[in-house]
Amino acid sequence: MTTRRARKFDALPRSYAVGLAIYAAFFFAVLYGPLVMIAVLSFNNSNVTGFPLRGFTLAWYEKVLATPEFITAFGSSIAIGLLAALAATSLALCLALGFRRHFPLKTAVFNLVLTPIVMPGIVGGIVLLLFFGYLNLRPSLWTTVLVAHINYVLPFAFLALYPRVHNFDRSLEEAAMDLGAQSLGVFWYVVFPIIRPGLIATFLFSFSLSFDEFIRTLFVTGYDRTVPVMFWSRIVDELTPELPAMAVLIILVSATTSLIAVVVSGRAAGVRQNG
Amino acid sequence: MVDQAIERPPAVWRNRRTVLRRGRRLRSHWATLLLLSPGLAWLALFVLVPLGFTVMLSFWKSTIFGTLPDFQFGNYEQIVAQPLYRDLLLKTLRISLITTLISLVVSYPIAYFLSIQPTIRKVVLALLLFLPFWTSYVVRTFVWLPILGTTGAVNQFLMWLGFIDQPLEWLLYNEGSVYLGLVYVYTLFMTLPIFLSIEKIDPRLIEAAADLGAKPMWIFLRIILPLSWPGVLSGCIMVFLLSMAAYVTPQLLGGPSGIMFSNMIAAQFLANNNWALGAALSVVLSAIVLLLLAGAGRWIGVQQVFVGGRS
Repeated sequence: MTTRRARKFDALPRSYAVGLAIYAAFFFAVLYGPLVMIAVLSFNNSNVTGFPLRGFTLAWYEKVLATPEFITAFGSSIAIGLLAALAATSLALCLALGFRRHFPLKTAVFNLVLTPIVMPGIVGGIVLLLFFGYLNLRPSLWTTVLVAHINYVLPFAFLALYPRVHNFDRSLEEAAMDLGAQSLGVFWYVVFPIIRPGLIATFLFSFSLSFDEFIRTLFVTGYDRTVPVMFWSRIVDELTPELPAMAVLIILVSATTSLIAVVVSGRAAGVRQNG
Repeated sequence: MVDQAIERPPAVWRNRRTVLRRGRRLRSHWATLLLLSPGLAWLALFVLVPLGFTVMLSFWKSTIFGTLPDFQFGNYEQIVAQPLYRDLLLKTLRISLITTLISLVVSYPIAYFLSIQPTIRKVVLALLLFLPFWTSYVVRTFVWLPILGTTGAVNQFLMWLGFIDQPLEWLLYNEGSVYLGLVYVYTLFMTLPIFLSIEKIDPRLIEAAADLGAKPMWIFLRIILPLSWPGVLSGCIMVFLLSMAAYVTPQLLGGPSGIMFSNMIAAQFLANNNWALGAALSVVLSAIVLLLLAGAGRWIGVQQVFVGGRS
């Protein structure tokens, strides 16, 4: 691997390589600059969201953590995230296991599974708004919002699990079967332990996706709001000085979950990539 | 001969195994159906039925008494004929196209840069690249307000330097800030597929070309660029589709002049209470997306487009 990359790198004259490296530094600076800046502003002892900097304070974090609206929304988002991740991972695992065999209309079914993320996000929210509206179901956290989140997360969970289950060495299962194990036994003692890291990673990624979901939730939200919807209603209203602290807390939750997922899955790149 | 004798199990065993296998295969059809049914039932009930219902509703009529069942093309005629909707659709297509092109120009060098790094550094840099995109895009859009606003970083810095006396108002709430926001939020969807397709290129092709005396520029133009084409295509489709459906960025950074199609859809539900027209606008947006994917699917697998990240 190393020699292979080295050859590619050699193919580039030094001036090009330096130029590329400078561009990469610029790219990462633009990528992280705004995030670093928001973190700095969250500690800024000023009543204005912005500059100049007027000293260090933890007051905005204290204020956010003492806002009942934020705490309630945070609890709702965690609960919805866990439930949506559990449901989506289970459904996706069943689908991925089913996809190992050939069956009629396989491509059509594959496209159906991807439909929720192929559809524009806003349409994903609106179809549920109309559907539940005409069923006279009042929007609430545990009905409409949960359904919207499972819809959104399911395709990603499927794409994450599909290669894991697909690349699984079938001879292990056949060996277990020849030794007399029943289907469920084979799954529980052979398949499950091997794909477990993939399942955990998928669960964590699903959680982080659900935690950050906004556009679908916006249209089906009831009285209890999730964190992104609550955050949105604050930022379109007025730029209050505690918002950077809130933003940092939101970033921390999803970034940490995703990072743990990467560590668990043992693959730094492209866990959500399908093989 | 001896090997064969050992490999071949006695006839009795063989029959038993064949019978077992056949039974398993029969059972496996039912098992497949059983495994697929919960997911398919979910998708049918909460994706297909609501979608079908929305298409139906787009032919209904919105009146002051509510949305009445009907079958008429009034909502679609309105979208095509009225400049308000038609022009917004064209503007959304234009913004999405320009966003896609900017993303391509911004992403290609970084994808190429990543692909030529030694393994460890590549993993670390790729992780650094992905990490911001694994966090809320609402937050990642919000961060531009304290940068471009009147008390924002850019204005305050320029005032501190003495270049300006008054904060610049035009930094925010226009089409330019929408491009900035969209590219910032969606670039990974361009970078990742390009990176993956460059990674797939057989290094021996590059070595062979170099050994035969090709200049680096030609290696790039004649080998790397054409072979990374599938990644470029999936990246472009992904960024274009995401931009077409953008709601958060234009709403937050665009102001009145930066509004896009999704904001118009949302307004039918959140403000105008015209559900039938909202449904028709949703169907139009979805149709554009599906047509584009169906067209592109001929060159690349649809699933190849969805290589990572969130929308």
